[in-house]
Amino acid sequence: MSELNDDGSEMLRRREVLRRAAWLLGSAVSAPAALAILQGCSRQEPGEIKAEWVPEFLQAREVAIVAAVVDIMIPKTDTSGALDAGVPAFIDTALVALYPQADRERFRVGVAAFSDAAKAHGAGQPFPEQKPEARVAFVKQVLETALEQDLPDKPFILVTRELALLGYLNSQVGISENMEYVRVPTAFHACVPLSQMKKHVYWE
Amino acid sequence: MDANSFDAIVVGTGMSGGWAAKELTEKGLKTLVLDRGRMVKHGEYPTATTDPWDLPYGNRITQEARHRKPVQTRSTYPTPANTHWFVDDLDNPYTEVNRFDWIRGYHVGGRSLMWARQSYRFSPMDFEANAKEGIGTPWPVTYDEIAPWYDYVETFAGISGSLEGMATLPDGKFLPPMDLNCVEIDFQKRIADKMGRKLIIGRVANLTAPLTHKESPQRGTCQYRNLCIRGCPYGGYFSSVSATLPSAERTGNMTLLANKIAYELIYDNDKGKATGVRVLDAESGAQTDYFAKVIFLCASTLGSTYIMLNSISSRFPNGFGNDSGELGHNLVDHLKAPGVNATVDGFMDVAYTGRRANGYYIPRYRNVGKDKRSYLRGFGYQGRASRSGSGRFNRSALIGAELKEALKEPGPWTVNASSFGEILPNHLNHATIDRSRKDKYGLPVLKIDALLRENELAMQKDMVNDAIEMFEAAGYKDVKVGDDKYAMGLSIHEAGAARMGVDPKTSVLNKYNQVHACKNVFVTDGSFMASSACQNPSLTYMAFTARAADHAVNELKKGNL
Repeated sequence: MSELNDDGSEMLRRREVLRRAAWLLGSAVSAPAALAILQGCSRQEPGEIKAEWVPEFLQAREVAIVAAVVDIMIPKTDTSGALDAGVPAFIDTALVALYPQADRERFRVGVAAFSDAAKAHGAGQPFPEQKPEARVAFVKQVLETALEQDLPDKPFILVTRELALLGYLNSQVGISENMEYVRVPTAFHACVPLSQMKKHVYWE
Repeated sequence: MDANSFDAIVVGTGMSGGWAAKELTEKGLKTLVLDRGRMVKHGEYPTATTDPWDLPYGNRITQEARHRKPVQTRSTYPTPANTHWFVDDLDNPYTEVNRFDWIRGYHVGGRSLMWARQSYRFSPMDFEANAKEGIGTPWPVTYDEIAPWYDYVETFAGISGSLEGMATLPDGKFLPPMDLNCVEIDFQKRIADKMGRKLIIGRVANLTAPLTHKESPQRGTCQYRNLCIRGCPYGGYFSSVSATLPSAERTGNMTLLANKIAYELIYDNDKGKATGVRVLDAESGAQTDYFAKVIFLCASTLGSTYIMLNSISSRFPNGFGNDSGELGHNLVDHLKAPGVNATVDGFMDVAYTGRRANGYYIPRYRNVGKDKRSYLRGFGYQGRASRSGSGRFNRSALIGAELKEALKEPGPWTVNASSFGEILPNHLNHATIDRSRKDKYGLPVLKIDALLRENELAMQKDMVNDAIEMFEAAGYKDVKVGDDKYAMGLSIHEAGAARMGVDPKTSVLNKYNQVHACKNVFVTDGSFMASSACQNPSLTYMAFTARAADHAVNELKKGNL
């Protein structure tokens, strides 16, 4: 549980979170920018970041794991990724607002189990520090196992996936960069060839 | 005339109350209109234009909302975008002998703001069934009597739909129909060819074209945003707030008061009439009496029933107008069964644009013509075909760039069907007052005791099996039955607790919605329904309310009230 925690204390210091976040996103990103990305700042100008994001439920080392996992699931490609959309912060607030205490605690146990398993699988190296290919392969393996097992209590990886998709596809970048979001369609066209549509239309 | 005296009082501003307010004021009556909830004016819809990213938690319902609204959240409607329309159950308790889902909106406009807008006429078959089958009491009104009133309310409200010439689902005065999409048209052809069943576009109170009258300048056409439940700033769908109350307001004859809880009718033994209503202010708790020549109870089926049950006098020791002993009884809802869905192969090169706030409708075919089932009455289906959304990726192993590419594509076509069936009126299904419990205003609460019976349980099986059969006949794959559990109330079509009838010994109201035993009190919400058919009921409440208001004014003029 303490693989990211050099001094062995319960909580990482904030700068450690930021260091990890910056690291996750590539070393060139400064810590404040990384913080902004974790909390979701798509509509903020650089330098406008004022408040520090303090997770409500997740601890710093858990944020690092969640962030690493959602970045693998929904990376930045030609469109923004989960981290650009502030998905880790979304997951933290969603866990508090949408889930009963027991489910939330189960999520916490799940993060730890994932982290331990990843470390064991990676010859003792903490998950966020493993090579990108190794991390992707591990997430894929855990995900496939979870889908096969189909347990009644959704495991960490599936809760994270669901919340990542929910947060990303309800974010402004997630919607506007992946879909054609028309605020006021004004008309309904019942049968339109896809070839005549610019992008996947927002219907939800 | 003192400040608290009016020609008419209307209790409630939902579907029925809005109509009563409009009709009575337009006919010249100085009318006090009361709602127990807060004021809502057209355009004051706080989330109507909120983008998805500005809603919290991906618009999923919170634990806090579940805690405050444990009954409301039994339905799937409340979300952070609209939960302000659903009552706080902790503040507004009632007693359930068996689970009964009482889904409510306490604000001006009531549930007319949140309704699903499906608008169907009852047919001659529906008005005749009780008499033919010896169920409940015969309807005192024929289809031909109410048909002109359907014309009238459809024209004002603006109902879009297709003309089909069906005896079991009469056509109305329609605006142009919305279109079925490619897959719905495919489904329509397949079940027509293979099973002789009819599928039509839903008849819905959304304006597909400008209204044919000039009485509602505040209303524009539907913009296909499909956010109706939040309130429509365009006035694209009919509600009391967008349509009837503005008309009433323009007459100058309406006094609309919010936060006024009417809890008792005042009865004058000497005059043999109701003289007014007793009201609590929801904010101050102050009690006021308001007086009028004629009173319309439009507080919703269970709301009006409550007021009547709570109005005890030496003349009416068992509740207002309750000589028959039927007040509170014969409570019905619309029966639901688990929804059914299927995957449709093909059509991958077509989709649709715009968000249609409507689906298809399959009118009742069971126990129609030569069809004969082990149960009485029948059900209709509502559903839609659509390209599946991102939910399909919750349980998929795709990750990374592959997942993101897949997210940009619409998913395979799916089709679903859910049903509304008729629940037979039964004396055993009833509401009373639970004097052992009080709400925060110190008023005793309603107690509801209703269960599904043999006829409903038999019908529910067909409701699931027929949907499976239709999807299979259409050649659709992966047919699945949902796990949604229905209890009475969940369809939000509660009705029948003060039924109308010919005989005062067996019914509470006469054919004009007047209390048999007190002619200056009219009850025009769902409580008058002698049976509920299987069609969505609001249009019928509108028609009967307009007719009752016309009768009330005529009777007032004749000096009969």
